[in-house]
Amino acid sequence: MKNLWGFVRYHLIVFASALAAMVALAVLVAGVLLVPVGGVGLVLVPRMMAVLHRWTEWQRVQAGAVLEVDVPPRPAPPAAAGVRDRWRQLLLGTRSRRDLRWTALHVAVGLPVALVALGVAGLLVNPVLEAPLWWLFPADEPLRLLLAFPVTGWERAIGMGVAQVVLAAPLAWWALPRLARLHARACLAALAPSEADRLAERVGELTESRSNVLDAHAAELRRIERDLHDGTQARLVAIAMRLAMAREALDDDGGPVGRLLKDAHEGTEEAMTELRQVIRTMYPPILADRGLAGAVSAVTAQAGLPVETDVSGLGAVPAAVETAAYFIVAEAVTNATKHSGAARVAVRLASGRVLRIEISDDGRGGVDESRGTGVTGIRRRAAALDGTVSIDSPSGGPTRLVVELPCAS
Amino acid sequence: MRVVIAEDNVLLSTGLELLLTSKDIEVAAVVPDADGLLDAVTEHRPDLVIADVRLPPSFRDEGIRAAVALRRADPTLPILVLSQYVERVYARELLAHGSGGVGYLLKDRVSRVGQFVEDVRRVAAGGTVMDPEVIAQLMVGRGDGLDSLTGREREVLSWMAQGLSNTEIGERLTITDNAVHKHIGSIFAKLGLAVSDGGHRRVLAVLTFLDDR
Repeated sequence: MKNLWGFVRYHLIVFASALAAMVALAVLVAGVLLVPVGGVGLVLVPRMMAVLHRWTEWQRVQAGAVLEVDVPPRPAPPAAAGVRDRWRQLLLGTRSRRDLRWTALHVAVGLPVALVALGVAGLLVNPVLEAPLWWLFPADEPLRLLLAFPVTGWERAIGMGVAQVVLAAPLAWWALPRLARLHARACLAALAPSEADRLAERVGELTESRSNVLDAHAAELRRIERDLHDGTQARLVAIAMRLAMAREALDDDGGPVGRLLKDAHEGTEEAMTELRQVIRTMYPPILADRGLAGAVSAVTAQAGLPVETDVSGLGAVPAAVETAAYFIVAEAVTNATKHSGAARVAVRLASGRVLRIEISDDGRGGVDESRGTGVTGIRRRAAALDGTVSIDSPSGGPTRLVVELPCAS
Repeated sequence: MRVVIAEDNVLLSTGLELLLTSKDIEVAAVVPDADGLLDAVTEHRPDLVIADVRLPPSFRDEGIRAAVALRRADPTLPILVLSQYVERVYARELLAHGSGGVGYLLKDRVSRVGQFVEDVRRVAAGGTVMDPEVIAQLMVGRGDGLDSLTGREREVLSWMAQGLSNTEIGERLTITDNAVHKHIGSIFAKLGLAVSDGGHRRVLAVLTFLDDR
């Protein structure tokens, strides 16, 4: 901010808002006193604090204009879902405390700063407004200029008026910006988002971007599976088919050409087998065909022992979660089949804010995570999605594995 | 023999048509999707349907659904499903309807022309053909249940499950019919299955055993 009028305006705003802050503090105290009165305050206080927050936000913008700095809005807390939630944020968060502290400071600092600044501005403005009107002042209480000297005639009015403007101008130019910046800096410092708020915001951003990346990745794998299926795999089959027919068309041996054809034919078949295996570990085709519910049912249906599968609570989940869940179920069911000695396994999937995968067996328990990679793989897949894994496997059984994968995006 | 082919990939459908025609198998129609398949079957009354699993519009499991629907309508209609990958559940769904005349093979198998045409004829004649991969999945799934079998017996079991006759098994293993018969008797005794002759009922019995837990 460069021009003097801007600073005068800022000081006027500070003066007015500091006065308003006094009122606001009084109203807040009244609100708090109303808490025991039929819970009126319980509802009112959080609303007041929200208004206060918006107001302090506005003050920051004003301060930012003075300092010519960009003031990004402070990170908003997650939306509160009721009075209880609002109070929890109020009492546990640092936001409201900062707002309150600044409001008090604003009264203590802003009011004197604004008064001094507006006084200086007055020294500059008064002669211009009042000196031409000196004759309106009563004789026993004449207009005084240069702080003390009475104006008794036009000569004095003009002389002293000009003198006061000349003297006050540098003072105003010197003092007003400094006082404004002092106040603005105090305001921004007091209302800066706390480190915890900043971190929380950053974590929120990172969580979101990570889940987007994972989803994009899963969608990409699904696309690649489709592309390979419709493109490369189909072409390989077509090539192999034609090579086979060419081999047939040749007489018995076919000599060198026959041998080359044979190599090409067998090589193509090997390539098809390898490609199929790669695709299966990358993105199981059944997942593309039948979705998670169908794919899980397929996995459990081909386990080596009876698996009771319940996917009735399964809704739509993000692609990344779907893929991870598929591999987790496959791994867990394989583990149960191979190592637990169980006669039955139960698999249950239900989705909401999280996808909950529950796999239990009636085996001998005592799952040792340090041995075998099954559980490690499950933990790794769950961790990639910020999920949790809990295993309850007392020696002698039964074993119960619960994996929760967050689905909100 | 007349077949109807449901395959959306032109490269594959033309190759398949070429191959079958060269073996004197008439291709009555080639359709690109499941709806077209149902219509073509009504129209042409083929001796065999060859269907891809992934068909338009959504390229999921339309082929399996269409095959199951066709079998429900006519349990005697032979259907051979070809796919880029095999899933045990699909095999089970195909086997659940009708008796015999069912095949489920990887598309790779088309490149073994002689064997493939043999499989085509077997399915058209009411036999059962299961891809070795399906059987491998079943035998892995069955795990411990097959411990009592010798290596050779497991081999014979796998061939049986794929739908081969005793003679064919004997040819593959270069052993006599009699030896095959003895192996089969031993397998059935060990697994506690009632001995049945070749054909679909035996395949089904073996598959059911492998699939059952």
